Amino acid sequence: MAEKTVVAIQIIIVLAPIIMTPVIMYSCRISDQLRNGLSVATAAVTFILSLTLYPFIKDGGIVQLSLFEILPNLEISIRLDLLSFSLAALSSFVWLLATLYSLRYMAREHAGGRYYPVLIFTLGSCQGIFFAGDLFSLFVFFELMSIIAYILVIHEQTEEALKAGYKYLVMTIIGGLALFFGIIIIFELGGTVSLGVGPIIQERSTLGLIAFICFLIGFGMKAGMFPLHVWLPDAHPVAPSPASALLSGIMLKTGAYGLVRVVFFVYSYQLLQTSNWNDILAALAVITILLGSAVALTQTDIKRRLAYSSISQLGYVLLGLSILNNNAITGAIFHIFSHAFMKSALFLAAGAIIWKTGKRNIADFKGLGRQMPVTMGCFALAALAMIGIPPLNGFLSKWTLALGALDAEAPGFVLVLLISSLLNALYYLPIIIPAFFELPDSLQADHHGDEHDLPPVKIEEATPLMLSAIVILALCTIFFGLTPNNIAFSLSRLTAVYLLGGGGL
Amino acid sequence: MVLADQLPVLIVITPLIGAFLAPLIYRRHEKASGYLVLLSLLLSVVMAVFLLIKVRRDGPYFYQMGNWPPPWGIEYVADPLRVFMLLVVVAISLWIFLFAIEDLQHELRRTVIGWYYALYLLLVASMAAITMTNDLFNLFVFMEICAITSCAIITVKEDRECLEAGFKYLILSAMGTGCFLLGVALLYMVTGQLNFGFLQQELTAAVINYPLNVFTAAALFIVAFGTKAALFPLHVWLPDAHASAPSPSSAMLSGLVIKIYAFSLFVIFYRVFPRSLLDSLPLSEIVLWLAAFGVMFGSVYAMLQTDLKKMLAYSSIGQIAFIFMGIGLDQRLALVGGLYHIAVHAITKAMLFMAAGAIIYATGVRRISDMNGIGRVMPLVLVAFTVGSASMIGIPGTGGLISKWYLALGALEIGRSLFVLVILLSSLLNAIYYMPIVINAFMSQDDFACQVKEVPKVLQSALVIGMIFVVITGIFSRPLTLLLEEAVTVFF
Repeated sequence: MAEKTVVAIQIIIVLAPIIMTPVIMYSCRISDQLRNGLSVATAAVTFILSLTLYPFIKDGGIVQLSLFEILPNLEISIRLDLLSFSLAALSSFVWLLATLYSLRYMAREHAGGRYYPVLIFTLGSCQGIFFAGDLFSLFVFFELMSIIAYILVIHEQTEEALKAGYKYLVMTIIGGLALFFGIIIIFELGGTVSLGVGPIIQERSTLGLIAFICFLIGFGMKAGMFPLHVWLPDAHPVAPSPASALLSGIMLKTGAYGLVRVVFFVYSYQLLQTSNWNDILAALAVITILLGSAVALTQTDIKRRLAYSSISQLGYVLLGLSILNNNAITGAIFHIFSHAFMKSALFLAAGAIIWKTGKRNIADFKGLGRQMPVTMGCFALAALAMIGIPPLNGFLSKWTLALGALDAEAPGFVLVLLISSLLNALYYLPIIIPAFFELPDSLQADHHGDEHDLPPVKIEEATPLMLSAIVILALCTIFFGLTPNNIAFSLSRLTAVYLLGGGGL
Repeated sequence: MVLADQLPVLIVITPLIGAFLAPLIYRRHEKASGYLVLLSLLLSVVMAVFLLIKVRRDGPYFYQMGNWPPPWGIEYVADPLRVFMLLVVVAISLWIFLFAIEDLQHELRRTVIGWYYALYLLLVASMAAITMTNDLFNLFVFMEICAITSCAIITVKEDRECLEAGFKYLILSAMGTGCFLLGVALLYMVTGQLNFGFLQQELTAAVINYPLNVFTAAALFIVAFGTKAALFPLHVWLPDAHASAPSPSSAMLSGLVIKIYAFSLFVIFYRVFPRSLLDSLPLSEIVLWLAAFGVMFGSVYAMLQTDLKKMLAYSSIGQIAFIFMGIGLDQRLALVGGLYHIAVHAITKAMLFMAAGAIIYATGVRRISDMNGIGRVMPLVLVAFTVGSASMIGIPGTGGLISKWYLALGALEIGRSLFVLVILLSSLLNAIYYMPIVINAFMSQDDFACQVKEVPKVLQSALVIGMIFVVITGIFSRPLTLLLEEAVTVFF
C-alpha cells in the first residue's frame, strides 16, 4: 500500500468521527434512529479503516509525516507504526462494541443527544492520540479527549457525578499542565518533540529528570498511577456503563501509551536504565498494583470495585514498562490488549445487570447467575481472566510479565504479581460464586428443602444486542489466551522487538 | 502613492473626525450616527491592513508630521511591531463596537449615547496614536486623552458605583501621568531630546554622566505605566473601574486600554533606553517579579469574587502580568509570547466581557452563584464564555496556549524554570475559577430562575466572531508569530 493512501486513511480515521460529531448532534432533531445509526456507522467505519492498515504494518511499514506547522519546529504530524496500529485497532474495536451496546442501554437514559456526539468525538480524538507523530500533537489530542470525556463522566448529572467530574477535570488540568511543562523542557533540550527522530534525550540532566517526572504525572494521572489515581474510582463508576467500559478499557490506556512513547521515543531507554529513572516507575507501579487490589477488596459497589481493579491492572502495564526487557515489554503491551477486553466485558456485564435488575451492591448478586446466565457467565469468564487462570488471556500476560521479571533478575516483581493475583481472586470470586451457587435473600427465607433442589428461576437476560457485545468481548479473553500464536500476542511481541530495537525510526 | 505614505496619520485622523461628527449627527439620526462610527472604524482597519502590507513589502518607515523633521517635528513610526499593535487596536475596537451599538441602547440613557460614540472614537484615535508615536511628549498628550476618555466611558453610566470607580481611576491615572511627565522632564533635562531615536543616542552618554536623573526617570516610567496598566501592586483601581463600567467599556478597557500602556513600556524599554541601561539596572528583573506576583495574586483574587464582571476584571490583572512577564524576561521568545498575549488576551477578555454583558442584558444576573443552569437557556453566549475560559486556561487549540508556550520556552531558554512553574500554576488557578462557572451553567440540576430576554442577533454574531478569532489564534498562529519573531529580533 502506498504511503499516501495510508496517510489518507489515518487522517480519515481521526477526522471522520470529529466531523461526524456535529452531524450526529443535528440528526437527533430528525430521529433517534438516524442518530444511533450514524453513530454505529461512524464507529464501524473507523474500525474497518484501521484494519485496512494491517497489510502495510505487516510489511514493516512506518509513516512519519508533518502536516502543518503550529509553532516553529512544532508541527501537527502523523505517525503510524506497530504500536499506533495495535492500539488504534484495539480501541476502535472496543468502541464499536460499546456503541452497539449503548443503543439499548442508553435508550432508557436521558440526554442521548449529548451522549452519542461526545462518544464519537472522543473516539476521533483517541485515534488522534495513537496516530500523533510528535509529542505536541499527542498532547493536543490527549487534552481534547480528556476534557470532552468529562461530559461522559457527568452524564447522570447527579450531585455525585458532578463532584466526581470536577475532581476528574481538575486532575486532568493538572496532568495537562505537567505534560505541557515536560514537552516544553524536551523541546528546549532537544529542539524537537517529534517521535520520528529516535530518542531525543540521550544524556542525563536535571531538566531531563524533571521532564520525565512531568510525563509520569501527566500520563500516569490518566493511567491511574498511584498517587494520582484519586479521580479514577469516583469518575469511572458514575459514568453510564458503556462509557465506563471505554474509560476503563481504552482511555486509561492512552496514559500507558503515552508513557511507552516517552520511554522509547523521547528518552533512550538505555539512559533510563543507566540512570535508574525507571526505578521510579517500577516503585510506583508496585504500589499501584498492590494498593488498587487491596482497596478493591473493600468496595461493595460493583462498578467501584471494577474501577479499583483497573488501577491495579494498569499497574501491570507500568511494571512491565519499567523492567525494560523483551518479555516484560511484550507482557505490558499484551496486557493493554487483555485488560481492554476483560475490563470492557466486566463493565458491560455489570451494566447489563444494573440495567436489568438495578442491583449495584455486590451483596445483592446472590443467585444472579441463574437469572442472567449468559451475562454472569461472561462476567465470570472475564473475572477468571483477571485472576490469571489459564488458558485465558490474563494468564498469558502475567506469565510473560513474570518471565520478563525473571529475565531482569527481579523475582520480587514475580511475587508482587502473585500476591496481586491472589487479591484479584479474593475480590472477584466472592462475586461469581454466590451469583451461581447461592440463593437470593428473598428466596432464602421460604426455602428449607434440599439444597440441590433449587426452585426454578425465570431467565431474564438483557437484550440480544447488549449480550452480543458482552459475549464477543468475553470470547476474546479466551481467543487471545488459548495459544500464544494469536494476533494480539504476536503484535505485542513484534512491537516489543521494534521498541527495543530503537523504534525503527 | 502619495496617499499610502500618509496612512499613519490618516488612521489617527479618521476616528478623530468621526468623533466630532458622531454626536452632531446623533441629534438628528441616531442610527446613522452609529453607522458613521462603524464606517470610520472600518476605514481605520482597512488602512491598518494596507499599512501592514506596505510595511511588509517596503520595510519600516518614519512619517514626519507636517514634513517637520525631528527633533523639531513629531514623528510616527510604522514598523511591523507598531503596525501589529495598531491592527489589534483598531480591529478589536471595530469588533467591540459591533457589540456596543446594540448593548448601549439598554445600558445608557438615550441622550448620552451620541457622546459615548464620540468618546469611543477619541479613545481609539488616542490608542492608535500611542502605538505609532516616536516622541515622548506626543506620547504624553495622547496618554492624557486616552486616560480622560477611558474615565469618561466608565462614568457615563452616572450611577454612584461608576462615579466612585471613575474618580478612583482618574486620580490614580493622573498620578501615573504625573510620574510619566516628571520622567520625561528628567530625561529632557539631561539630553534635550524627546524623539525616541535621538534620545536613545544621547542617553548612552547621559547614563554615565547623569546616572541619577536617568535612573529616577526609569523608576518613574515603571510606576507610571505600571499604574496605568494595572501591574501588581498598582492595580487597585482596575477591578472597580472595569466591573462597574458598561459592558462595551469594560471590554475596551480590559481588552485594549491596559495593553496600550504595557506596549508603551515595552517600546520605551527597547526603543528609548539604551541596552547599557537595561544591563546595568535590574529594570527587567523588577518588572519580572512584579509580573510574577501579579500573575498569582490576580488569579487568587479572582477566585474570591462573587460578581462575574469583577472576577473577569481581576483575571485581567493576572493576564496583563503575562505581558509584563514577556517584557521582564528580556528574551526573544518570551517577548514574542508577551506580545502575542496582547492580541490573545485582547480578543479573549473582550469576548468574555461581551458574554458577561449579554448575560446581564438578557437576564440582569451578575452574581456567579445565580448563573446555575443558564447555559441551557442561552447556549450560544455560554459556549462563547466556555471558549474564552479555555483560552484563559490555555487549552490546546486556543490562543492562550501559544502565548504560554512562547513565554515558557523563553523562560527555559535563559534557565529560569521557576517562572515556567508560575505560568503553569496560574493556568491551574484560572482553571479553578473559570471551570465551575461553565460546569454549573450547563450541568447544574437547578433550572435557571430568572426571566430571559432574547439576545439580539448583532450581539450573537459579535460573540461568534470572537470564538472564531480565539480558535484562529490557537491553530493558525504561525503567520502572526513569524511576524513578531522577525520584528523582535532587532532588539537582541
